[in-house]
Amino acid sequence: MKNDDTDKQEYGQTMNVLLSSRSSLGEWLAWAVLVAIVYSQVSNFDREIQEYAFGATGWPSAICLCILLGATGQLAFRIHANWRNAAAGQLQAPKEPMISGFRFTKAGALTFGFFVLPFIYLYLAQRIGFYVATPFFILGLLALMQVRSASALVLVTVVVYGLALALFTRFFYVALPTGRIEFFYDINNAIIVLARTGV
Amino acid sequence: MDAFLTGTLMLFGDPTGLMVFCAGLLGGMLFGAIPGVNMLTLGAVLLPFTITMQPTHAVMLYSVIYCSGVFGGAITAILFNIPGAPENAPTCFDGYPMTINGQAGKAIGAAVCCSALGGVASAMLMMAATGTIADWAVRAFGPQEVFALIFFGLAVSASIGAASLWKGWLSVFAGLLIATVGTDPVGGIPRFNEWTLAGLEFHSYYLSAGIHFIPMILGFFAVSEVLVQATNISKGIRERPKASLEFPTIAEFWRVRFTMIRSVCIGFFAGILPGIGATLAAFLGYSQAQRWSRNRDRFGKGELEGVVASETANNAATGAAMIPLLALGLPGGALTAMIMGIFQIHGMEPGPLIFIKSGDLVWITFAAMFWANLLIVLLGWIQTKTVVHILRVPFRWLAPGILLLATIGAYALRNLMVDVWIMYAAGVIGFFLRATGYSAAGIVLGLILGKLGESAFTKSMQLMNYDFTGFFGRPISAVLLVLGTAAIITSIIGEIRGRENRMGID
Repeated sequence: MKNDDTDKQEYGQTMNVLLSSRSSLGEWLAWAVLVAIVYSQVSNFDREIQEYAFGATGWPSAICLCILLGATGQLAFRIHANWRNAAAGQLQAPKEPMISGFRFTKAGALTFGFFVLPFIYLYLAQRIGFYVATPFFILGLLALMQVRSASALVLVTVVVYGLALALFTRFFYVALPTGRIEFFYDINNAIIVLARTGV
Repeated sequence: MDAFLTGTLMLFGDPTGLMVFCAGLLGGMLFGAIPGVNMLTLGAVLLPFTITMQPTHAVMLYSVIYCSGVFGGAITAILFNIPGAPENAPTCFDGYPMTINGQAGKAIGAAVCCSALGGVASAMLMMAATGTIADWAVRAFGPQEVFALIFFGLAVSASIGAASLWKGWLSVFAGLLIATVGTDPVGGIPRFNEWTLAGLEFHSYYLSAGIHFIPMILGFFAVSEVLVQATNISKGIRERPKASLEFPTIAEFWRVRFTMIRSVCIGFFAGILPGIGATLAAFLGYSQAQRWSRNRDRFGKGELEGVVASETANNAATGAAMIPLLALGLPGGALTAMIMGIFQIHGMEPGPLIFIKSGDLVWITFAAMFWANLLIVLLGWIQTKTVVHILRVPFRWLAPGILLLATIGAYALRNLMVDVWIMYAAGVIGFFLRATGYSAAGIVLGLILGKLGESAFTKSMQLMNYDFTGFFGRPISAVLLVLGTAAIITSIIGEIRGRENRMGID
């Protein structure tokens, strides 16, 4: 009976350690997958270099190994710490599931917007040009930042866009993308000409 | 001393020279302080115009831009967590928390004074012993020593900004791995430009040129900071840092005097070595300040000593970087390479003979660097009193400007949209790295030193006939490797002890 209790206690302790190490295991797995993917690509440039014995693959392969060692060290270190905590009775299994389910909230939607908007802007800037896409990008960012005042929206857009045009187009002649679609290409060029008027 | 005084008189006695000096000083500070552009942008823009300038004016202009530009980058690092240049990255660790704590004035004040101190000390050492130091550095530092120094630098700086030692190392390794993208340093074979995954093939000519560290820095620091702030705003958290104008007191500077001296030595030493320069100097200065400080627990939370260490070290590297350039014709970084270009444009060749053939040019440059570093205090003081007011503008209004500058900065680097995509991707990755305790600075450090480290390693292997023990046959490399290894071992022991102590407290 006593043995059963001890076994149950040890089983519970092991489960607690495993549960509390889930995030560490996940992290290790993420690094291992990254290393596996990268290492699988090494063969694409595995060519002999006459004057260097380790070739082009030696250094990246060594770094992959270092990453794997580091991730394993991190995992071992955390599991060891969790075992010690469990032995000292300080470790409790997480009561809440790790993923509590997705809930759609306004804050979540805004955050998602912040992450996606720059990529939409870049996609569009290549097609309709930097000069046309940028004011909409600024307005979009301000809207996501919950700026509601019409005057603030217009003023900030005009000031930021105007300063960028003055500094980079008028003074430094930075050649920014003018788009691939003819109609927008013409508009972009018209804006550049306007920005450089009198230069 | 006579030569220095003559140089000073020639500098201030020539109205055109004085105008060029002032333009360089203000331009460097301005470009250093604008997120997305930096002193290299200014240098690249001005380079064609140097053809029509006198060589003395052109070289002086770039030397002054170098001094003030390294300082200028600290302003945005402190106010917005966006380093103007890689060498200002460690300034973010404590400078930005100080801004959050309402001590922006103190942080900028410390950066101003320490940049000036580091720069002046370095300029004086440069004037005193350029020839001797350059001769020693080139004789004593071969590829083995450079590799050993990079190993040492990474060993002592790896855990900066990370939640644990392991996360710090993994961040550095990730940076080193990113640095392998592009052509290999010996055979010129393109690496990771072709990908075959699940039967799908992908090929990019862009990746053959490698991933540049500037878009990565802008992404990890500027974009991720905007994302963090934007997420806070979306949750209804709207904290505006207090725009404090309070300067650090003399007592506060006196408290960190040893950190300043240590950082000057580190910065000067790192600056002499071609390619190592101000970035490693700043990281080393910061990590050593943390190691020896009584307040090491406060590092990363707004400790003045952290700002002092990195800003002193990175400016101390500026004067030192001119030593191998002037004495041996070896540029150590991008801006010194531009100065080398100016010499070539004007049909001059830097080297030991330049002190004899063009003594005026050398001493006007030395004097200009000395006075530029001193004037940083005055201009920096004015800047502190004015630029801190930007904090009064709501972040919601500043964010589009920051992202736009970063976008243009990343694009203008090589006129490639892919650089901008990489910047935003790095921003998103940086956001999650910050949340999980990994260090964006570690990745950047690995990325910057990766190529240099690999190049030094390959040369060392060829020179030593693939015998690893050869590293220990040279005293400097042996000492650096042993110290680096000792640093790794002690930090692992420290991590274990720290955990045990935390358990004890629990």
